[in-house]
Amino acid sequence: MSAAILVRDLRKSYGLKAAVDGVDLEVPRGSFFGFLGPNGAGKSTTIRMLTGLIPADSGTIEILGLKLSENELAIKQKIGLVPDESLLFDRLSGVEFLEFVGRMYALPRPQAIERARGLMDLFQLQVDRKIIGEYSKGMRKRVAMAASLIHHPDLFLMDEPFEGVDAVGARLMKDILLDQVKRGATIFLTTHVLEVVERLCDRVAIINEGRIVTSGALSDLRASGESLEDAFVRLVGAGQQTGRLEWL
Amino acid sequence: MIAAILRAQWLSMRMGGHRGRSFNILTGLIWYGVWVVAASLAFRLVSTAPIGPLRTFLPLALLGVCLYWQVMPIMSASMGSALDLRKLLAYPIPHGKLFQVEVLLRLTTGAEMLLVLVGGVAGLFRNPATRGWMAVIPVLLFVVFNLLLASGARSLLERLLSKRKIRELLVFLIFMLWMVPRFIFVTGYRPAWLGKWSHAIDNAAWPWTATAWAILGQAGGYSYLLLVCWTLLAGWFGRLQFERNLRFDAVAAQSTPQSNGASKLAALADAFYRFPSVLFRDPLGAIVEKELRSLSRTPRYRMVFVMGFSFGLMVWLPMILGARVRANAQLSAHFLTVVCVYALTLLGQVSYWNSFGFDRSAAQIFFAVPQPLSRTLLGKNIAALVFVYLEVLILTAVTSLFRVSFGVGQFVETLLVIGVCSLYMMGMGNITSVQYPRALNPERVSQGGASSRFQALVFLLYPASLLPVFLAYLARYAFNSDLIFYMVLAFAAVIGGVVYWIAMESAVTTAIERREKIIQALSTADGPISAD
Repeated sequence: MSAAILVRDLRKSYGLKAAVDGVDLEVPRGSFFGFLGPNGAGKSTTIRMLTGLIPADSGTIEILGLKLSENELAIKQKIGLVPDESLLFDRLSGVEFLEFVGRMYALPRPQAIERARGLMDLFQLQVDRKIIGEYSKGMRKRVAMAASLIHHPDLFLMDEPFEGVDAVGARLMKDILLDQVKRGATIFLTTHVLEVVERLCDRVAIINEGRIVTSGALSDLRASGESLEDAFVRLVGAGQQTGRLEWL
Repeated sequence: MIAAILRAQWLSMRMGGHRGRSFNILTGLIWYGVWVVAASLAFRLVSTAPIGPLRTFLPLALLGVCLYWQVMPIMSASMGSALDLRKLLAYPIPHGKLFQVEVLLRLTTGAEMLLVLVGGVAGLFRNPATRGWMAVIPVLLFVVFNLLLASGARSLLERLLSKRKIRELLVFLIFMLWMVPRFIFVTGYRPAWLGKWSHAIDNAAWPWTATAWAILGQAGGYSYLLLVCWTLLAGWFGRLQFERNLRFDAVAAQSTPQSNGASKLAALADAFYRFPSVLFRDPLGAIVEKELRSLSRTPRYRMVFVMGFSFGLMVWLPMILGARVRANAQLSAHFLTVVCVYALTLLGQVSYWNSFGFDRSAAQIFFAVPQPLSRTLLGKNIAALVFVYLEVLILTAVTSLFRVSFGVGQFVETLLVIGVCSLYMMGMGNITSVQYPRALNPERVSQGGASSRFQALVFLLYPASLLPVFLAYLARYAFNSDLIFYMVLAFAAVIGGVVYWIAMESAVTTAIERREKIIQALSTADGPISAD
């Protein structure tokens, strides 16, 4: 079976700065894949290219066995997306937004309504007149994740999905994602919280300055008994002694 | 500290990109070019006027300047740049410093009047009957008075307009207050108290009259004293309102009230939102429904919608009442059409010219879902058209109340004309939406100094998009035939359809090419000063 994500020599530059500089990546189907890297390493840019939100300068992307350049709409139909920036329409209520997203993924309206209400319930969000603009950050993240689930996708692309979510919400979201992996879906997520990766992911890749510095099973990365945090710091070269400011 | 705020703003604004910058410069040149012409006219008028007419008309002219400065920002729904206090209150900046910046920013809504005043003062220097140097200090004081008053009025209005329910009512009341004197004037009705009122302007107690008298050397130091008093009073008002704004929680004021059950009104509104899904299949139905829900809950959109039917009436209705009916027979005959086209143009600012504006960063969902972008743009256009036709219905009802003569024929004609104009405007709007996308803050009832850009857009695009319909009317006038009119209108509709289709193709191609820049532009946050 083809990989869920297969990326070859992916490149994206902003002016002279290469945000993504020849990335090769293979994410097996049914895996919970953690995509790690320091700030500005190219994680979000990679995710945005995988979803077709921004064009790549060069390289090939295959999602679920389909070439992105030739099958953009078909691929989008199979992806659940939680981007770093808000996809939410502030002037809709949570349930209205979920219904809208369901219909954009070609669900029949009654089914979209039913699923929207079910997801609101699952994510412990109240179905009321309150609009998303009045939601807390954690509630917005819950709605965003609920929206990524509504069309029952085969692949989830998630950029910092747990950012700003409280412990209860994060546990709820993690449980839901683990259930998705159990049913055979693939999850590709970025996060800065290494504890999340250690608990959830079976495979990881670390990107630094636009290049993949390691990729493989999490167990292999920690084979030497090193913690993920130590391995991460070692690989991205951030362990050296920093300077001190006299006045600080 | 002020320099740091202005520098942060400058740095925030530099990311506009060359295309956006060139467009801003071009539109700015056109808009302010018009006002430079107005300033040169003021110069010519003042430099040759004898002292008698100057004494009579200078207070009136200054009253006009004051009214423009204070009222136009409200009328154009663009109250200029302002400090974003939510971003600045976290820092230990003295309130006095913030107030100073806020007052300086009022120049953004009065720059046109500054040009006119400079032209007028230059004329006074040239006029042998006056001493130009005497005008400098009173005019400077008058400018400061206007800045302070505008600052206070803006703070007060911003607070009031942030409150649920009352904002639309308030806007409507403001327009009605503006309309009533015009009605009284044009209908020929003269209540007894009006005579006294018109004499009242010739009294130095008014700031504009005090300024005029000080300029012309009338009433000695008395006019100066009054002008200083007015300026101090405006300063007190401005500072008071600014301080109140600092303590105002706009989010709490705009929050949705909790209700236990669905009200009848909510059920009715829901039926309205759901209606497009009966006519259109998804995703079009879903997009139109989403747009109707979002826009009708967006304070800024609601305000412009209210303006669509009230401001149009305010501008055009007085021209066809009373003694003016005969003089403006053509306008009277097509009154409903004119005010509806006006409403269509006004709504453009917050809909089809910048379709993704209120979606802001969420607009990327339209690039992420498996639907062609043409459906999104079409859905947004249909939703905009629904609101435009709602305006038509409201205006039809209001004009019926005022007994402005029109029949079913004019109503049908209006519907058709609006449809044809919309084809051209929305076609062009789809292109501008992807070429010059700009994030709009839905909570702010006024947004930044967009007025000049949109005014220039009106200059550039509206005449072009209205030309085919104008030609249809010209044909009716030339051949004195309704049949010819409808034939030309039908032809214009066909051409409009082609224009819309080509524009849509072009917009979709551009959107795909520029999707990264579009998302970036829509996700860009303002600097410490909310402006665009």
